[in-house]
Amino acid sequence: MTRTAAFAREQLRAPFTLALLVAVPVVFVTVSAGVLADFAVALGGSLAADAASTLSAGWAAAFIAGTLGFFQAASSRGADRRLALAGAGSTRVALSRVSASLALAVVAAGAGFAALVLRTDVAHPWHAAAAVLAFAVIYVAVGIVIGSLIASPLEGSLAVAFVFLLDVFSGPGMAEQAAPYSVSRKPADILIAAGLGQGSPGEEWLKLAAVVAAALAVSLAAFAWTARSRA
Amino acid sequence: MNRVVVATRLGFREQARRPLLLLLLVGLPFFFITRAIAQTEQLPRSIGLPGGGEVLTNMRDIHGADMAAITVAFLAGLIGVFVMQSARQADRRLVVAGFRPREALAPRLLVLGAGAVLVVAVSVAVTGTSFAPNLWAPFILGNLLAGLIYAMLGALAGAALGKLGATYVVLFGAMLDLGIVQNPMFGTGEPPAWGAVLPGYGPGRVILDAAFSDHFHAWGALAISIGWTLGLAVAVLVLLERLVGVELDRTPRSRGGDTRTRASRGRTPRPR
Repeated sequence: MTRTAAFAREQLRAPFTLALLVAVPVVFVTVSAGVLADFAVALGGSLAADAASTLSAGWAAAFIAGTLGFFQAASSRGADRRLALAGAGSTRVALSRVSASLALAVVAAGAGFAALVLRTDVAHPWHAAAAVLAFAVIYVAVGIVIGSLIASPLEGSLAVAFVFLLDVFSGPGMAEQAAPYSVSRKPADILIAAGLGQGSPGEEWLKLAAVVAAALAVSLAAFAWTARSRA
Repeated sequence: MNRVVVATRLGFREQARRPLLLLLLVGLPFFFITRAIAQTEQLPRSIGLPGGGEVLTNMRDIHGADMAAITVAFLAGLIGVFVMQSARQADRRLVVAGFRPREALAPRLLVLGAGAVLVVAVSVAVTGTSFAPNLWAPFILGNLLAGLIYAMLGALAGAALGKLGATYVVLFGAMLDLGIVQNPMFGTGEPPAWGAVLPGYGPGRVILDAAFSDHFHAWGALAISIGWTLGLAVAVLVLLERLVGVELDRTPRSRGGDTRTRASRGRTPRPR
């Protein structure tokens, strides 16, 4: 069995984790989609109902992925140090950890997207799918960076929640103007456009790819650096 | 000194050694509540109150009334998950070393309660800078009940689902329950009939009545909240007592009827 599969299985050992990875995004998208447009208007944003529904799938994937990335990085410190000492190397261990988190985040993002498609008629489903996936990848990276810096589960999960809430309240659709520090700004723009029935130009996709690549690079570097310093 | 007092003191000292935790428990409500209220538009909104009356208010004030409870619920829930998770192994060792399960659990529950009270105090104080409820005492009580209910739900979820699963359940549960279903910013302004079965219903109605009524009417909702709190307290005690407990092995070792004690789930024999 590869290290990536072993790391993914490690997270799924607790009862119901896999079921929750699927059920939580589905329930969140189903319940919140109907109220997010009202919420956006109350916050001074401007989201049509369908665009708000699509954004809910991105948020669900983001939070699930961020928490997952955090626990992958934080809960494995001792084991990863031993793996690195045994010859696996900190970079390969980091790659396996990030890949395992991504694999599980894809499951959560897929569940949220499926609920979205069942609930809303999305004009550009592939654009929406790619944007939801980008939400998940960016937040896996956020979770891994936090997990590399903070070992304690309570402080770490609060830090993930802090980044997530900051992002939600300052991101596109919810704020009058999205803040530059909103980490999910690019996927949110594409997701909202897909919900409104508009395609996104190639330039937007390039920017999204750059943000996702940068997030992954930072998370890999943070994890490998802390694994090496621990070893 | 009484060993429960010693264990309690050590439990609080353990939390005091975590400055980042205190920073987050104070900073997160401060940032989250002030920003949410400040960002909300003053759009007119009519909502139904527990006494049967209706009040015309605005979205910013409603958000001011309910943001504290949402924040308290998810922070207290997370404290419940992780305080109990970290306690389980250490407390089992205390029990094996001779503590009674309740003596080992009482300090953890006190730390959990203190965490909930801290979060409520910070959240209510921060709310007070942007929004003033009509009745402060029931407003604080409603938030405290929301915190205790979610702290204990977090403890139960942590024991049953593990860290990751419990974090999802607590955060999304609080967001869906108090943030959406009980939130008068959405729908008709009153929770749907099925919303009454959720843990946030009682505290949510108490808080809403305290925020917008001149006289308190939500006695039924208060009774429901207290029922949830007591029921969950019993569930937490029973479950955690089982998790940390040891059972007496009544098998006689010798003709003299000597009994042995062994861990109920682990294999650690009681030291002699």
